[in-house]
Amino acid sequence: MPQRVAIVGIGQTRHTSRRPDVNDGELINEAVSAALADAQLTMKDIEAVIIGNMEFFEGHHLNDAMLIDYTGARGKAGLKMNTGGTVGTMEVISGCYHVASGLFDTCLVIGWEKHDEASTTSCITTITDPAVDRPYAVGALSGLAIISMNYMTRTGCKVEHAAMVRAQASENASRNPNAHVRDRLSVEDVLKGRMVLYPLNLYFLCPTSVGACALVLASETKAKKISRKPVWIRDHITVHSDYSGALFTFPGETRETSHMVAGRKIFQRNHITKPIREIQVFELYDPCAFLQMSWLEDFGICDQGEAWKLVEKGVTAREGEFPVCPSGGVLCTNAIGDSGTLRVAEAALQIRGDAGEHQVTRDVKAALASGYGGSYWTDLLLLSKTPD
Amino acid sequence: MQQKTTDELITQEMLLKIPYRWAAGEHIGEFLRELRRSGKIYANKCPKCGRFRCPPAPVCSRCHTKMEEREKWVHVGPKGTLLSFFVAEQSFLVPTTGDMLEVPFSVGVIWLDGAPVALWHQLEETNPDKIKVGMRVEAVFKPKEQRQANIFDILHFKAI
Repeated sequence: MPQRVAIVGIGQTRHTSRRPDVNDGELINEAVSAALADAQLTMKDIEAVIIGNMEFFEGHHLNDAMLIDYTGARGKAGLKMNTGGTVGTMEVISGCYHVASGLFDTCLVIGWEKHDEASTTSCITTITDPAVDRPYAVGALSGLAIISMNYMTRTGCKVEHAAMVRAQASENASRNPNAHVRDRLSVEDVLKGRMVLYPLNLYFLCPTSVGACALVLASETKAKKISRKPVWIRDHITVHSDYSGALFTFPGETRETSHMVAGRKIFQRNHITKPIREIQVFELYDPCAFLQMSWLEDFGICDQGEAWKLVEKGVTAREGEFPVCPSGGVLCTNAIGDSGTLRVAEAALQIRGDAGEHQVTRDVKAALASGYGGSYWTDLLLLSKTPD
Repeated sequence: MQQKTTDELITQEMLLKIPYRWAAGEHIGEFLRELRRSGKIYANKCPKCGRFRCPPAPVCSRCHTKMEEREKWVHVGPKGTLLSFFVAEQSFLVPTTGDMLEVPFSVGVIWLDGAPVALWHQLEETNPDKIKVGMRVEAVFKPKEQRQANIFDILHFKAI
């Protein structure tokens, strides 16, 4: 039987557009120190270190070697992750495997990115098929625009609904001192945004941020000994897609995305029949306002074509019945290698009741966190207040 | 009052300029050779689940079955239906050339006639008000003598 795994330490830097005052190692160390302090542990207590970012954003490859002074990993076990938007969640999942296996009692997980050091969109363009697709890709933006347009066509969602999502995210981010873009925007403000990639204006897209997030994971025995408020990683799943993520369904085919498979399997095996009632918060990896809605449907939180109606009714607001991204989400803070780790961190803070100004109004017993990325795969984690 | 000295923040400017050469391989290579040779777009089918791939693929990702071989490849397009699109209005650095993207730049996902497959390619029309999901489009090829066995052998898709 695998060991149960808990999050016993959470640390993050403030997020911003530029940090020329620190190098990557110094940035990481801010999050590592904060997570260790939160766990009331020192580096001596940590047995394995998982680190990840997307190296092309900084143009500094195999940087984990040079970062060793700041991560504390010297002489310890661990892995390096490089999987696009899922870097951060893959790291937590990898940390889980390390601890659940029984080989390690503690594991430090570090996700980070410094988007002020290169052209993010140009780097992401290089993830596509070099011969056939690359000339027609504009970083991640092109995929987000194609999905958004398809979502509107399929479901009747209007641009105004995406503006509601973004306005709501801005309200949440304004309460989160660590979020990057914290301006409060009305639906009208969002609709007036500068067009970047039709149909997406600047506000429908996530920013490029600088930041780091670190978590300390511990085995059940260790967690119960050292932590007053452990948050349990109840289950997690990774699901791969076809290249291009099965965006379109042709006659005779059933639409099946990696999010759909992940949601269905994780709810089934945890006996969750009505996720919208049984889970109190979802920190969903939402790089684009339209996708927050489309992916809520794909994860099975509501039926297809229903998410924009939930947004309209305020269900997904911080005070709503099913708050989505009370932190402000990826829409307001996006340091890619840290975005996934941050989703898990923010979901865990909600369970602990430590989210401060952006704490949701209901008691959180179970929360979801997701990751998604250019490698066309889905990570989904189920967290809970109690171990079973 | 105490004098505060602010040290200038030091950053190192760099440019990574590295040439790459990517092997298109057996299937994508033949797909590109056919663009040059015949001006035709090809797809292939999984004999088990019937799903098509364009460009043709060696193995079906869903059935883990060998896809149909070269002699059974099917000709798709040049006409098709627009499934989705975007129009880039802000320019970005194109990493494969080092140039800035010329905007407006519009790209469509085109469901090609003949099989359920979609290809991403440039649209001739760049005014988003004149582009509609569901509209019919057709591939415009370069003249044969100018074709180079790359995806640019198709100039763009135009509205029909």
